Amino acid sequence: MGVDKRKGGIGLNSMSVKKSTDRDMTQPEGVAPPRWPLNLLRYFVKREYIEEIEGDMEEIFHDNVERLSPRKASRLYTWEVLKLFRPTLLKNLSGLPTANQYPMFKNYFKTAIRGLMKTPMTSFINVVGLSIALGICVFAYTFARWTISTDQFHKNKDEVFLVTFNSHRDGTMQQYGQTPRPLGVMLKSDFANIKKMCRVEDRNVVMKHEDKVFHERVRFTDPEFLDMFTFPLKWGTPSSLSDINSIVLSERMAIKYFGAENPLGQSILVKFDKDNGKAFKVVGVAATFPKSRTISFDFLVNVENLSTAEPGYDFNDWKALVHATLIQVDDASSAKAIEGAMDKYRKFQNQAVDEDLAISSFKLEPLATLHEASEHIKDDISRSSHDNYLSVIFLSVIAVFLLALACINYINIAIVSAAKRLKEIGVRKTIGASRTMVVVQFLTENIVITFFALIIGVILGITIFIPGFEQLWHFNMGFTFTDAALWIYLPSILLFTAIASGIYPAFYVSRFEVINILKGSVQFGKKNPVTKLFLGIQLVLACIFITSAVMFSQNSTYLASRSWGYNQDAVLYIEVPDLPAFEKISAVMTSNSNVQSLSGSHNHVGVNNSAVVVKVDAVQHAVDQLAVDAQYFTTLGIPLQQGRVFRDRVESDKQSVVVNESFVGTMGWEQPIGQIFKIDTIQYDVIGVVSDFHNYSFNDKVTPMLFTVANREDYHFLSMRVRAGSEKDTYAVLQAQWAKLFPENPFQGGYQEDVWGNYFTEIWIHAMVWKVFGFIAVLLATLGLYGLMTLNVTGRVREFSIRKVLGAGIKNIAAIITREYAVLFAVALLIGAPVSYILAKMLMDFAYAYHVPVTYSVASISVVVLILVLFVTAFTQIRKVVKSNPVNGLKME
Amino acid sequence: MKITKLGEFEELVLLTVAALQADAYGVEIKRELERRLDETLSVGSIQSALKRMEEKGFLKSAFGETTQKRGGKRKRIYTTTSYGHRILADMKDVRAGLWESINAKVALG
Repeated sequence: MGVDKRKGGIGLNSMSVKKSTDRDMTQPEGVAPPRWPLNLLRYFVKREYIEEIEGDMEEIFHDNVERLSPRKASRLYTWEVLKLFRPTLLKNLSGLPTANQYPMFKNYFKTAIRGLMKTPMTSFINVVGLSIALGICVFAYTFARWTISTDQFHKNKDEVFLVTFNSHRDGTMQQYGQTPRPLGVMLKSDFANIKKMCRVEDRNVVMKHEDKVFHERVRFTDPEFLDMFTFPLKWGTPSSLSDINSIVLSERMAIKYFGAENPLGQSILVKFDKDNGKAFKVVGVAATFPKSRTISFDFLVNVENLSTAEPGYDFNDWKALVHATLIQVDDASSAKAIEGAMDKYRKFQNQAVDEDLAISSFKLEPLATLHEASEHIKDDISRSSHDNYLSVIFLSVIAVFLLALACINYINIAIVSAAKRLKEIGVRKTIGASRTMVVVQFLTENIVITFFALIIGVILGITIFIPGFEQLWHFNMGFTFTDAALWIYLPSILLFTAIASGIYPAFYVSRFEVINILKGSVQFGKKNPVTKLFLGIQLVLACIFITSAVMFSQNSTYLASRSWGYNQDAVLYIEVPDLPAFEKISAVMTSNSNVQSLSGSHNHVGVNNSAVVVKVDAVQHAVDQLAVDAQYFTTLGIPLQQGRVFRDRVESDKQSVVVNESFVGTMGWEQPIGQIFKIDTIQYDVIGVVSDFHNYSFNDKVTPMLFTVANREDYHFLSMRVRAGSEKDTYAVLQAQWAKLFPENPFQGGYQEDVWGNYFTEIWIHAMVWKVFGFIAVLLATLGLYGLMTLNVTGRVREFSIRKVLGAGIKNIAAIITREYAVLFAVALLIGAPVSYILAKMLMDFAYAYHVPVTYSVASISVVVLILVLFVTAFTQIRKVVKSNPVNGLKME
Repeated sequence: MKITKLGEFEELVLLTVAALQADAYGVEIKRELERRLDETLSVGSIQSALKRMEEKGFLKSAFGETTQKRGGKRKRIYTTTSYGHRILADMKDVRAGLWESINAKVALG
């Protein structure tokens, strides 16, 4: 710093005089500290300190610019300015009349509380409405927080990268999460700034400890895995994974096999395949994994074991891929350089593999954002958090809408009941309150009300909304009051809600002239068009919510009964390890009288399929393949459209395929039977076409697929159609026979109708969640309508009394009360019905590949519901007026 | 010796001012302390310590020169007053005395 000191020449005094004009010229390299923090600093710091502190801050800023990026330096500058807020440095702000304001605010609070007590009905509507909406906001916040915290517990999240590559396949550039096998080791030795590296490969195995035998998935990895990822161990030391005979268990697995006790030193048998196994010693058990994660493990063993699991496994084979390679660099910024320098590995890979599989470039994906990027990376070890982010957006939109509904209630009621406050405002203004002060008073009252609502809202959130949602999805969002961001969120939403709901009524009420108020010539509140507009908006919103709720419930029922394209009922399946096992179990089951049809296959619908690339007229298509036997179509009940299926035990069908309708459609064939295409180099003839059916759940569109004949040696599944009604019994027999024949092999099979797992539960939950939102929306709108009507009727007691005295009947009164609302409802529903129809359709198309057809009848249901709401609400008021004695009404005042 | 109302952090800042002599202005004090403590300090914490000690009379200050980096704003150079210096010396003596008695006991035990 001695270098840039100005020596001699300019005296101190002249410097300080020139200071203000010189400033811009003297800043080096034109980078200046950010503007607004600087102004803030000038505003708050004591005048006599400004020159020194501003200079210090600027010097540090320029030091930082040289060291870091200008952006980061600006951020640090801002942060430092905020940390300057200390009593010793702050200007004495008592010049502002803060002291005078205190009793005034005390008075505002007092009137606010009194106001709340005096009108229990409106207070109830306001507080209940707001607290439900705020409860939903707290819930949405918790979910967002949970989603954003995904994977953020890894200490090295910014330095750990997943190695991925881009490759041009199926006509587009795609990113893949797997890596050529030798790449990891080469990277580690070639780059000094790569500190650690681990490869990850998952294999299905059979795990056995005493009488516990299960299918499991084991993660083969380098010992660095436990250093790079932050998975602390409950028992054991991470480094012991470098021993080739050791295994690390997740907490869940430790409990599954060894109970709650410390299993260190125990041995567990891992069977890689039928006659290839190895005993491992337990050296570690992971502590409970954090709630929100996309990468974890059940079992970890040293990567070297791959050569035991798969004799002949070649770690140096460029043709083969390993599931993942992760590296940890010394500094996150060096990743770009490594990525660029990795280009040299491309030729190793591209020399080894076919042109089709050539790699275009390598890319490093940071662990911190991997869960977001994962959506676009194929075959990577991380799960994508994309759906959760969509849900966050969705929930936020819902929360904002509900909050809007509740705020509108507040605004409407405040405007209509403002007449009652007129005298108070008049008096306040006469004594000397300015318009601003009246506005401040009303906002203060609002903050008080919103504060109560927020407390109830938080309670609703943590006792109903959050646990309810967690129960539906079986997970835990880990809500906690110790979360610092929550304490920023809650006050912000409090202020936001209070201002959003209070600002309009405050300005509206405060604008009247004192003289007119006290003269009594102000007539307002009753005929405010804004009230009508707001109520209209509420109705439209409620209409949208009801329509969606109805839509999703209908969809849930519809999808449950929608045809799968084949007959999934009364079909059982079981996975078999090999042909001898298949033959043994099929021999037993064929003799069972309940079994109507039985087949063997390599793949199985809904459980397992292969992917192949077919070449038709030199164009490549990636399609799904199922290798099956001749009876498979009968067993599963897949309807044949044209041609024939495979013949039993006929060698000539080895090069025949049966395709589905989508396949024919994609190829554009007029006459599919007899068409020829190639898979790899082998030519196949199309002999039959089956109807489209759902290989995956209704979440996915049906895609082109083909069936080939499975080699008997490759049989991996046994499926059978049983007599309807005998499913349970046959399943029990199957399980028992399996246990008898293969006590060493875990049973893995099920009912065909269960192969989509939680799919139907999820659809049901969607409907459930919408019903709740729909209910809340209707409740809020009803509360608002009720409040408005009640105030309207109470304000017109004398009018109604006179009408009654003059002989108005119930019909007449009902007409008068309902008339203005009826018009409003008509307009709102005329807008709301089409809008909600369009929105619901968009939502359905977005959420589901297949859904119930959206019809106008859905929107009409919400219209009916809302009209019903109007009638019921109006009825309570009409009844009140009809029952009241007109004399009492006229005696008032 | 009576209690001097000098906090631990203030004492460190005061010592740094004494050590830096003519170079003792805000940024340099921060830099020196950060280097010695091996942690990041905020301008706010240093400045408020300086101001408090100036008020108590441990320090005095005067405007110094400026540099290009400071955008023309002058430095404020701090110097310890003789009162401040005495306090530091007193604190050192008290500590030394206590250490001696610890060591004596350890040697005995």
